[in-house]
Amino acid sequence: MIPGKILAFLEHEGTVAVSGTRDANLIPAIHYVSGWDVEPDKRTIRCSIPQAFTDLIASLEDNGQFSLTIEQIGSHETYQFKGDYVGSARPNEADMAAHEQVKARFAKVVNQVFGLPQEMCRAYISRPSLVIRFTVREIFLQTPGPGAGHRLVPPEEE
Amino acid sequence: MGAVELPDQIKPVMQNGIPAIVVTCSADGIPNTTIISQVYYVDKTHIALSFQFFNKTIRNVRENPQACVALNDLEGNAKWILDVQYDHSETEGPIFDEMDMQIEAIASATGMSGIFRLRAADIYRVRSFKKVSFSPASLQGVTHGDTGYTKQRASG
Repeated sequence: MIPGKILAFLEHEGTVAVSGTRDANLIPAIHYVSGWDVEPDKRTIRCSIPQAFTDLIASLEDNGQFSLTIEQIGSHETYQFKGDYVGSARPNEADMAAHEQVKARFAKVVNQVFGLPQEMCRAYISRPSLVIRFTVREIFLQTPGPGAGHRLVPPEEE
Repeated sequence: MGAVELPDQIKPVMQNGIPAIVVTCSADGIPNTTIISQVYYVDKTHIALSFQFFNKTIRNVRENPQACVALNDLEGNAKWILDVQYDHSETEGPIFDEMDMQIEAIASATGMSGIFRLRAADIYRVRSFKKVSFSPASLQGVTHGDTGYTKQRASG
């Protein structure tokens, strides 16, 4: 189960996300993410993927391995979620609403941090055409600093 | 089979100060996705990644040298995706010194001075690349710089 603090981060604070898969030959691939939402079970995440990065189904059906990294631009607070593919779907209304929220947060903070026009930033978060659902198995802290790479869920033994 | 050569237009994208992404995969098949502060242009066929904190990335590429790198070009309306292979690490010399200087500049500009520290410059050979363009209307096009990568990958 995803802890409450990280659920709040996912809902309100994360501004950019990217995901990773690998094929049968262990070749990794990057897939940009246009939005995300957590299902009621609090362990399954829905990732909205834009059309240009939807070539991931074959890899997911081959091995099921999926990783998702979400950062809050500015604070650099970052988490990586690793888990197992459970299915795909077309984006529904809730997915599109989550996409719009992420797009607005991204445009606002990139404008503040990098000085780029908000309209340009909004265009960078492409409209999703596919939703990947995966069950979270592990969560890692990736905020730059001494704790980067520390596993939060399940907790590492001291 | 000829080597893949990066176009000159990718150089400013590597210098725009916008973080990049790297995905690696462990020997037991678990992908790892990280955000990194810098990708350094070495020459037309090689890039360097900064080794600072992400020990899982470092461990993965020593086990499995394949990696995928994405560069963000907001002003150019594009994302660049590079398939690369880890070659070696440098802990001194001109590439290391220049990356160290650039990382300190990025750290200073982003309020992370004293936290970012370059441990090594990891040098990767570029196996293929593609540029994914986008527009406000979400019409997207893909151009490839791919010299037999699929065949090369299939033959190991």
